[in-house]
Amino acid sequence: MLRPLAAEKWDYGSAAHLLNRAGFGGPPGEIEALVALGPEQAVDRLVNYEEIPDLTPAPEWAKPDPERARQLAGAQRLSVEERQKLQREEQQRQRERLAELRGWWLQRMARGARPLQEKMVLFWHGHFATSFEKVRDATLMWRQNETFRRRATGNWLELLIETAKDPAMLIWLDQAQSRKERPNENFAREVMELFTLGEGEFTEEDVAQGARALTGWTFDRAGQRFVNRPTWHDTGHKVIFGKEGNFDGEDFLELIVARPAAGRFITRKLWRFFAGTEPSEELAAALASLFRRSGNEFKPLLRAIFRSEEFYSPRVRRNQVKSPVQWLIGSVRMLERELPPPEVCAAMLRSMGQDLFAPPNVKGWEEGVGWITTNTLMARYNQAAVLVYGEPDGVAGRAPAAQTARGAGAKRKGGAGQPGGAAATSPEAPGARPAAGGVEVKRILSDAQRSSKEELIGALEQRLLQARLKPEHRRVLREYLDSQGALDEAGILNAIRLVMSTPEYQVA
Amino acid sequence: MKKELTFQTRREFLRHAVLGGALTWTVPAFLAHTFAALAAQGTGRRVQAATGRDGTILVVLQMAGGNDGLNTVVPYANDEYHRARPRLGLAGDKVLKLTDELGLNPALVGFKALYDGGQLAIVQGVGYPNPNRSHFRSTEIWQTASEANRSERYGWIGRYFDAACGGGDADVGVSVGRQMPQAFRAKRPKGISLDNPQTYRFMTSGRPRPGQKDALEESFRKLNQVDEAAAEHPGGTLAAIGGAGPVDGSALDFVERTALEAQVSSDRIRAIAGRGTNQAAYPASNLGNSLRLVARLIGGGMPTRVYYVSQGGYDTHTNQLAAQERLLKDLSDSVQAFVKDLKAQGQLARVLLMTFSEFGRRVAENASGGTDHGAAAPLFVVGERVKAGLVGRHPSLAPDQLFRGDLKHTLDFRSVYATLLEDWLETPSLPLLGKAFPKIGLV
Repeated sequence: MLRPLAAEKWDYGSAAHLLNRAGFGGPPGEIEALVALGPEQAVDRLVNYEEIPDLTPAPEWAKPDPERARQLAGAQRLSVEERQKLQREEQQRQRERLAELRGWWLQRMARGARPLQEKMVLFWHGHFATSFEKVRDATLMWRQNETFRRRATGNWLELLIETAKDPAMLIWLDQAQSRKERPNENFAREVMELFTLGEGEFTEEDVAQGARALTGWTFDRAGQRFVNRPTWHDTGHKVIFGKEGNFDGEDFLELIVARPAAGRFITRKLWRFFAGTEPSEELAAALASLFRRSGNEFKPLLRAIFRSEEFYSPRVRRNQVKSPVQWLIGSVRMLERELPPPEVCAAMLRSMGQDLFAPPNVKGWEEGVGWITTNTLMARYNQAAVLVYGEPDGVAGRAPAAQTARGAGAKRKGGAGQPGGAAATSPEAPGARPAAGGVEVKRILSDAQRSSKEELIGALEQRLLQARLKPEHRRVLREYLDSQGALDEAGILNAIRLVMSTPEYQVA
Repeated sequence: MKKELTFQTRREFLRHAVLGGALTWTVPAFLAHTFAALAAQGTGRRVQAATGRDGTILVVLQMAGGNDGLNTVVPYANDEYHRARPRLGLAGDKVLKLTDELGLNPALVGFKALYDGGQLAIVQGVGYPNPNRSHFRSTEIWQTASEANRSERYGWIGRYFDAACGGGDADVGVSVGRQMPQAFRAKRPKGISLDNPQTYRFMTSGRPRPGQKDALEESFRKLNQVDEAAAEHPGGTLAAIGGAGPVDGSALDFVERTALEAQVSSDRIRAIAGRGTNQAAYPASNLGNSLRLVARLIGGGMPTRVYYVSQGGYDTHTNQLAAQERLLKDLSDSVQAFVKDLKAQGQLARVLLMTFSEFGRRVAENASGGTDHGAAAPLFVVGERVKAGLVGRHPSLAPDQLFRGDLKHTLDFRSVYATLLEDWLETPSLPLLGKAFPKIGLV
């Protein structure tokens, strides 16, 4: 179990597999660079990401804003109308920041120098699935995101404690409201069922007692931070997993992580996330044992996974449905184009079934084939066109008219609400800038590839699939190109979209 | 040749491709816009009668999150109720009275009207033995009609598709939204999901080079066809794969299969969606939009037997009163509009709508103005041919009659399923549910 992959099996395909899974994929140049490093160093480069400086600044609004806090705190003194107006403005501001936050994170994934770190942040976001829809504060969502980033590959118990005290989580699972008179069980239950142990590994009594242990942990709205209120804490005697004591929140989490089921649960889930398959019982045991021996640290586990023969086995490779985020980020990286503007990315991801910072529920997204329905598949095929041809201007409030409207504090609906309407079509006027950001074929294809149909198809396979198309699909693509006469830019762009509109492109 | 709906410019096309998804929730009017365009292709509403597709239809409405049954159908005259809920309890002068003991939540004005009009049944105390308080496990139990301690692979509707809709089209089941409910998971995969007919197609700019048909779309079709022989025999290389579930075959097999279904159903839905016209005003909500689309597809003559829509947000651990009222108002207004619409379209007699939620909530309120996960709760069945009124027995609220602070169920939810399968979808329930559950008078 977990024997390192032999060096002679290291090639373009396996390096691409590593980059797809441990990161978000990349263009042929990046894959070739990993091939040249050899398997050990390639994995190390991804895993030891702290050595690479992270230069992305935090969003402007992420700093504390005492002025705003004062304003909101003083809302009680205002009249009902004034208070409602203030709340509406605040909601609007938070929505706008959420849109920015989504763009900020996607940009990190697409352009950042630490792909594994961002991949792990995405994993933790899906794992501790917290939604803006209840938290309603973009700054708190950003702070949680930063916590996941800081502790992305660190120690399990430390991450768990910090997440339990994270303001967004305190709001999301109602821990902020829990007090000794009547403890709220929501967090106590989900932390065991979904975050650490799994169903059947705890009793209803453990939930009730765990909730008592957690009382006192709450969120201080004025200070925008975690506080432990001793007067809210139930100091009585508790029995959890058959152990007795006067436990508090940290004790409870420590007791959980010490359970044998805890190591099995999280290592299995990580394997599923990265390998896309269920581990065999043997492999699951090996992963859990390695994790335990390393003191519940994630980095040694990840290194072992990415080096292992099992990770490169045929049933793992090219057998995972890309998540919508993986699909989007992987596509812009492989196509070597910029990310579309944040609002366009958000609309694309929503149509494919993954709203960042708004998972469907506390269980997170269903990975794998769960991403694919007739509806979301059709959306992928159509969103491919946006990436290939370039996004339209005037989309989702980006039209100059809509921006002015926002600036003036008017309703935003004008731009976003009428895609076919007059406001959105006005940039059609002569001199309007062309659709921005499509694929530059000269940038990603050599002269030879742009003039020979066979070479073109080969180049697209290598770049977009890192594998061969099915023979019948290769034939269809060739017939399409033949029907278009001599190769030109339009034909090449259409061919790229066709490759992206195959079942093959949806897996990696 | 009828005129294809095409986008005149690439820019216009791209706008649809991106915004199509976004509009489904930001712009409530999207359907009107969509159907106005599609109506041009419609070939008239009488087609539906000619196709002979007039079987009964079941609409399943999931109230996700665990709706608090006690504040939905309220035992307002019960002292135990008010003792357990000093803050959340609804008094007799607030509720919409049904009897001397029970009343509807004040937000359920539409449901009260349906009740009074003989179109709403309230099935009381629905649950199952050994209730599970996890959202996911309990939802799974409802979706697969399993025992609480057993995992069942296929959904109860999926098993119905397998048993009664063999060889037919994927669109015997339509789920409105992006996800496929576990209830649809079947041995032979069936069921499609969509939320916007206009973007439910492979969109091209509609400007093929002069003198050519749209070669791009032709190629797309070929790339998304599955070997027909394999598709017909799911025991072969295309292994049995459930809706949103674990896979037997490879991930690629699953995507290929879905691609074929998407293509076939896309053609059909575009043809059908333009035929009907909605004849009622719906709330501008996700649920309202979903039911509006369902009414449209029913009126247009889809051969679909089961539709699935859902409404989320019922996990009211904190500040429940306002949140639940808002949700129940949306529910009641949307369903009322749906009924009115179907009535006007002459379709109501063949449609039955059933609501469900994975569990009710604790009898006692918590300290945060909310309620925690509980057990039994009422569900609603709506239709013209429903036996309206209160069905079954309300569970006792006496403390010694509760199980760990929860209501004990008085009716197994599988009795409701058995009744709907046999008396509405006309299928024997025993093979599908694995056990005989006594039917209740519903239809």
